[in-house]
Amino acid sequence: MTTVAPRPETDAAARRGAHADTAPHQRTSPLSRVGGYLGLLLVVVLVALPLYWILVTSLKDRPDIYTVPVTWLPDPFTSDNYRAVGTGVSFTDYLRNSIIITTVLTVVEVTLGVLSAFALSFLRFPGRTLVLLFVIASLMVPNQVTVISNYALVAQLGWRNTFAGIIVPLAGVAFGTFLMRNHFLSLPKEIIEAAEMDAAGPLKMLWRVVLPMSWPTLIAFTLITIVNEWNQYLWPLLMADDSSTAPLPVGLAQLQDTAGLTNWGPVMAGTVITMLPILVIFLLLQRHMIKGLTAGAVKG
Amino acid sequence: MTELDRRRFLQLTGITLTAAGLAACAGTGSSEDSGDDGPVESLTFWSNHPGESKPVETELLDAFTADTGIAVKLVTAGATYEEVAQKFNAALSGGELPDLVVASDVTWFNFALNEAITPMNDLWSAADLDVDGYVESLVSDYEFDGKNYALPYARSTPLFYYNKQMWAAAGLPDRGPETWAEFAEWAPRLAAANPGIPPLALPDGSNYLDWHFQGMIWTFGGAYSDEWKPTFTSPESLEAGQYLQDRFKQGHLAINNDPNSVFGAGQAASLLQSTGSLGGLSETAGFDFGTAFLPGPTPGCPTGGAGLAIPQRISDERKEKAMQLLAFLTNTENTITFTQATGYMPVRKDAVDDPKTQAFLEERPNARTALEQLELTQSQDYARVFLPGGGARIGAALDRITIGGEDVETVFGELDEESTTVFERDIEPKL
Repeated sequence: MTTVAPRPETDAAARRGAHADTAPHQRTSPLSRVGGYLGLLLVVVLVALPLYWILVTSLKDRPDIYTVPVTWLPDPFTSDNYRAVGTGVSFTDYLRNSIIITTVLTVVEVTLGVLSAFALSFLRFPGRTLVLLFVIASLMVPNQVTVISNYALVAQLGWRNTFAGIIVPLAGVAFGTFLMRNHFLSLPKEIIEAAEMDAAGPLKMLWRVVLPMSWPTLIAFTLITIVNEWNQYLWPLLMADDSSTAPLPVGLAQLQDTAGLTNWGPVMAGTVITMLPILVIFLLLQRHMIKGLTAGAVKG
Repeated sequence: MTELDRRRFLQLTGITLTAAGLAACAGTGSSEDSGDDGPVESLTFWSNHPGESKPVETELLDAFTADTGIAVKLVTAGATYEEVAQKFNAALSGGELPDLVVASDVTWFNFALNEAITPMNDLWSAADLDVDGYVESLVSDYEFDGKNYALPYARSTPLFYYNKQMWAAAGLPDRGPETWAEFAEWAPRLAAANPGIPPLALPDGSNYLDWHFQGMIWTFGGAYSDEWKPTFTSPESLEAGQYLQDRFKQGHLAINNDPNSVFGAGQAASLLQSTGSLGGLSETAGFDFGTAFLPGPTPGCPTGGAGLAIPQRISDERKEKAMQLLAFLTNTENTITFTQATGYMPVRKDAVDDPKTQAFLEERPNARTALEQLELTQSQDYARVFLPGGGARIGAALDRITIGGEDVETVFGELDEESTTVFERDIEPKL
């Protein structure tokens, strides 16, 4: 338990050494290498194909979308669907709202998640176990169960159709608390104890000792939070009345004609535009996640 | 202990300050009760804009404001009828209620039973509304216990769409099948003449298969229920279920979550779908298709779609103004505007006879079928539209006997029991 962080690297290095010394042919067999690559290729195709299909459909005209056999490239190529998204719904308003809601929620959830997890992991106070039980219990309650009571409360506060009404009830941090606490408990105790012996206070300990060893988990938590909040639908739908507060998923649902024949072109164009910011954030954070993984390892 | 108290005190202070700060940030939040006293200067209309109707709804509401000086806020309350119901349900717990709300055939009754929407009969006279001008069967769809809880707005029926080219390839006459028995005869010919193409496409249970199957079960002499008594296990109902399963097993019908796209792409010889699909299919399909009555013997066709309801817990003055708005949205002229923009059926008789409607139908014979079929419709069974979750429950059961291949008698037997339980638990005590 005390050497969790160094272990992966040490073990990996040991394995590399062992392979170099003893039986390298098992890993380098051409057949298994080809098999491995084929497997990887299959996974990439499975993941990339739906994304490719969304992109291609967003560039097709209506008859082309319904052509059988399907066309893999747009014929003719059209950007009309992207224009239709702009005219069909107040896209820029919804985008602005999504950015506001996601940013505020991510900052609040990550901050509270880290602070509460730190308190539950390293501070001693009465009722700590009870608080933890509450956190775990709240993870087990589906959001739908609390919708009506939350709605009544928020409506009584006069927060309907406001950002506060959408954001505050979603700012629960049970998942983050649980995730970060489990990670904090896995950190080497020696380092924590050394910091305590150096008389580091809780905040100093958090900033200078605990967080520098926690970037990978913290970034994963941030990423999960961003994706989760970006895709929020039910609660904002209930709270928001118009494009002054409603986020993108609520706006984009209007493009889908549930009674008739949906024109998938604009829906896919809207999906591409909605996905792009998340994709960019993921690519950026993914790099840091890898960096964090190597930086977080304790050399032993 | 002292330290603990201080800590608690600090916690409480923190919570109070945070709440106060957030409340201050909320800023524009308005009062929870829309039933204020005083003259009504604005109304709120919650809609899911059925049939991509947001532009035409906005146009009609602007005209109402110009006429009356009352501003109307059009709120997108969801993408589907169910989402509007969900939002309305939440608002009943204490939020701002709309003045007018879209209520579908499967959601209005629950609201009526729980006194969430108001009976309109008294309001009609106040608004000088000519109720007899509406199509009777559509008005009676919202009647319970002698009171009407909504007026028809975006109404439709299922239609039988068929691909004329595939019909010709199978040597079939240019019409829909007159009975489901005739369809069973035609299906092998269609399948043989159009290899790999299912003769009929149907939506799955989560996309209103329960609505389409309701007509089918009637033509077999069965029903979902006789008023409140479920009749899924009557021999006729079971026969209809068995028919559906047999056709599916033999590949004569394909169940799909988006059958419109399948038919529109020329991948099914025929389709059961709402009149609301006609506009989109006309734009998309690269082939000639026709529309026909649903197979009989009649009545083999339910009506569906949405009406407009007025919440109970708003002031009387707001109710009167909401009724005035409702009457405006569904007057003859606006009915014509709305139906021509969306493809839904006219809800007023004089709108049907109006020269503008007739000229519109001359150009679109496929749209005429729905109007002519209207005479052959009947109100839906209680088990689908009045029992909470009825449509979803029946849809799931139909998925089990088709896609799931389960025994019809077992599944319908369970459906019968569940429906009885729901009635005894949720409805009977309130009747």
